[in-house]
Amino acid sequence: MHVILIAAALCVALLGGTRGDAAKALSFVLDTTANRATEAQAIVAQLGRAGINAQVRVWQLSVLIAQVRAGQRAAYTTDWGSAYFDPYDLAVPKFVTNARGNFSFYSNPAVDHDMAVASSTPNEAQRKTAYYDAQRKIYSDAPWAFGYVLQNVEAQSSAVSGWAPAPDNSETMYPASVRGGDTIIVGMRNDSIAPLDPGTPPNDREAVLRNIFDGLVGAAPDGKVVRQLATSWRKVGPAVYDFTLRPGVKFQNGDPVTADDVVFTFQRVLTPGAISGVSSTRKDLLGPILRVQKLDESHVRFVYSASFPELLVLQSLVHFQIVPQKYVQQVGEAGFIAKPIGAGAFRFVRGALNSEIVLERYDGYWAGPAKLRQVIFRMMPEPSSRIAALLSGEVQVIQEVPPDLVDRLKASPNVQVKTAEGTRSYEIEFNVKAEPFTDPRVRQAVNYAINWDPILRDIYHGYGTRLATAFLPSGFGYDASLKPYPYDPAKARELLKQAGY
Amino acid sequence: MRWLKIVHRVLLAVPVALGVAVLAFFSLHLLPGDPVQIMLGETNTSAATIRAVQHELHLDQPLHVQLALFFAQLAHGDLGTSIVQQRPVAALIAEALPATIELTAATIVIAVLIAVPMGLASALRPRSWIDRAVLSTSLLGASMPAFWFGLLLILFFAVNARLLPTSGQIDPTIGVPPVTGLLLIDSLLAGNGAAVVSVLRHLLLPALTLGVVFAAVLARTVRSSMIDVLHRQYVTTARAKGLPETAVVIKHALRNALIPAITVAGLQIGELLGGNMIVETVFAWPGLGRLVVNSIFARDYLMVQAAVMLYALTYVAANLAVDVAYTVLDPRMDVT
Repeated sequence: MHVILIAAALCVALLGGTRGDAAKALSFVLDTTANRATEAQAIVAQLGRAGINAQVRVWQLSVLIAQVRAGQRAAYTTDWGSAYFDPYDLAVPKFVTNARGNFSFYSNPAVDHDMAVASSTPNEAQRKTAYYDAQRKIYSDAPWAFGYVLQNVEAQSSAVSGWAPAPDNSETMYPASVRGGDTIIVGMRNDSIAPLDPGTPPNDREAVLRNIFDGLVGAAPDGKVVRQLATSWRKVGPAVYDFTLRPGVKFQNGDPVTADDVVFTFQRVLTPGAISGVSSTRKDLLGPILRVQKLDESHVRFVYSASFPELLVLQSLVHFQIVPQKYVQQVGEAGFIAKPIGAGAFRFVRGALNSEIVLERYDGYWAGPAKLRQVIFRMMPEPSSRIAALLSGEVQVIQEVPPDLVDRLKASPNVQVKTAEGTRSYEIEFNVKAEPFTDPRVRQAVNYAINWDPILRDIYHGYGTRLATAFLPSGFGYDASLKPYPYDPAKARELLKQAGY
Repeated sequence: MRWLKIVHRVLLAVPVALGVAVLAFFSLHLLPGDPVQIMLGETNTSAATIRAVQHELHLDQPLHVQLALFFAQLAHGDLGTSIVQQRPVAALIAEALPATIELTAATIVIAVLIAVPMGLASALRPRSWIDRAVLSTSLLGASMPAFWFGLLLILFFAVNARLLPTSGQIDPTIGVPPVTGLLLIDSLLAGNGAAVVSVLRHLLLPALTLGVVFAAVLARTVRSSMIDVLHRQYVTTARAKGLPETAVVIKHALRNALIPAITVAGLQIGELLGGNMIVETVFAWPGLGRLVVNSIFARDYLMVQAAVMLYALTYVAANLAVDVAYTVLDPRMDVT
């Protein structure tokens, strides 16, 4: 009997103890995925020092994203990459009300207005002002605990020259050469890549694809837009651009590249169900496009439904490689992906998408033949195996070196580690429509309570840079004067106190 | 009579395969996540485009309609098209399966070459130092993580000693015309000696990684059943007849001791043919394991259903092969 009484008294004391605290502590679950679990644990420990009680839960990525989209999670580590060197593909979809990537359900009419101006006005100064303004508003609204951008770390054999990693993980092999040989084997980070069709959604296959195909314009390894099959363009109206084609260019099968091929390429993407009965999911990358039409044999016109800035037109066209109309119609869609033909520097020889793809120099390339005779892309999903293959000389270039393995490569005199500025923001997003993150002071408090510096130093070995918001230093309209939230646990406690914690 | 029974067993495999496909279908749809959204990720795609693609792929249909569509296609011998890769599922499996078969075959050869002599040696001298060494090495082999062991082999044999290639199936600069998809057979058919050597050299490390685990289990089974058999009366009789010891061990004892070992091997082969995601990843081996695990992550429904059916058929076939092997080893037995 006594035992029961004592137990009951203890229970009352314990429950009362937690309930009786002067203010409730902020507590939430930080949802994450296995690849960021260490980081999340470190963050939770830091939050604890500011009196915030957070716990880590690890999910499988696609399950977590489905939960987040449904608005069922409160705070989650996530990331978003940009295919443009412009906030148009990062800050816009992440912060505009109901935009496709707005998983924090953030909504601020003033930010929406800024973004709409920046996505449409052709005036660069106005665009910049709008983006600057948006950055400050987003900063103080703090819909995320803003994080960092990581560099792309890749490596090459010392015998290779003319190759550099790109911000978007594409591999431009045209200028590359290798001492004492004419073949470069690239160890890709992928398990397998999707078919080599420039009409289906863009992903890691672009690394291979852009060596086989050229677009009207392309991207240099530093991200700058370069002329490829177009020699010039002209804005003839706020929403109309005319492109002049490079004369005398031939596809790898000898057919000339004509205005008809360009129109066909874009129609294939814009027409519903045009690729083996399925609509191209690449079409929205084109922006507010209405139609692409042939003016004459060497001129094509792009007509948009609304004013679309030139920078965005060019950045969007980087994602569209020209396909040969006659060949595609002759061999069919299945035949085309079995043996793709483009106007790029290398032609497809053989290969399987889950093991290796062999390309050979196209001697008729418009800019002159490449230095390499052969480029082979090998699928090597395990980073340690890629590093082993580079060290043993089996491959000459490898993608994605995890920061903790860089030292192993640096110890070898025969390899060089190279980096490129990344295009992906890593952050913690809050569901601003659900408790406890409806109050901006709570969200700011979490920003003040996280010390990213030791995380970037110890987990990412210095290959990361803090971001003040989700605007990247490499992109247009970045406000360098806006500094990231400093680590200030006292300030965090104060804000939480104001918010009633 | 025996053939009739085999045919019967093969026919029974069909409902088993269909049953697991249905189970896989419903359990996959229980998982949150939509394949089109996973495939597109953060690509600039409007909700309207996503809906259009979901409609074109019938993903907007009720589950029972999707299942019926799957069976209707199957009746025409069509496994459907992978949502993510946008290629026929059959083609994807045909691309990955030969690599897995080749690795499985090499693994079995290595495992048997290690396990049978080890098991025999330890059974013949139980409690001796050999026996203890075999038991402890096999424990080590069975408990070693394949991921770690594979990387260790790569580091040792490929990076430091430069004796073998680190990964892949063949030197990628060698092209072999595909006939069977099995690179060793194709290289032999092409009469390309350099390709044959390259394929064998590439096979060694991954097969050893998988083979060591397999051999550990197998060696223990061979040992225990051999000890059991060596105490049987017919072995004593064979010895009493004055037969030389090697004949007693090989002809009379080992043959009988192999029956339990084959049961174990059959199950392991079934598992190996499913592909091993980890070893395939470490050795950049384009096999079935990687394909299936990635398809599950991507919610590539049709791809996973086809793979699950293939697994069911593989297990049925492996069990059947074990039963047939029994009848060869012990003529008194019959296929059940």
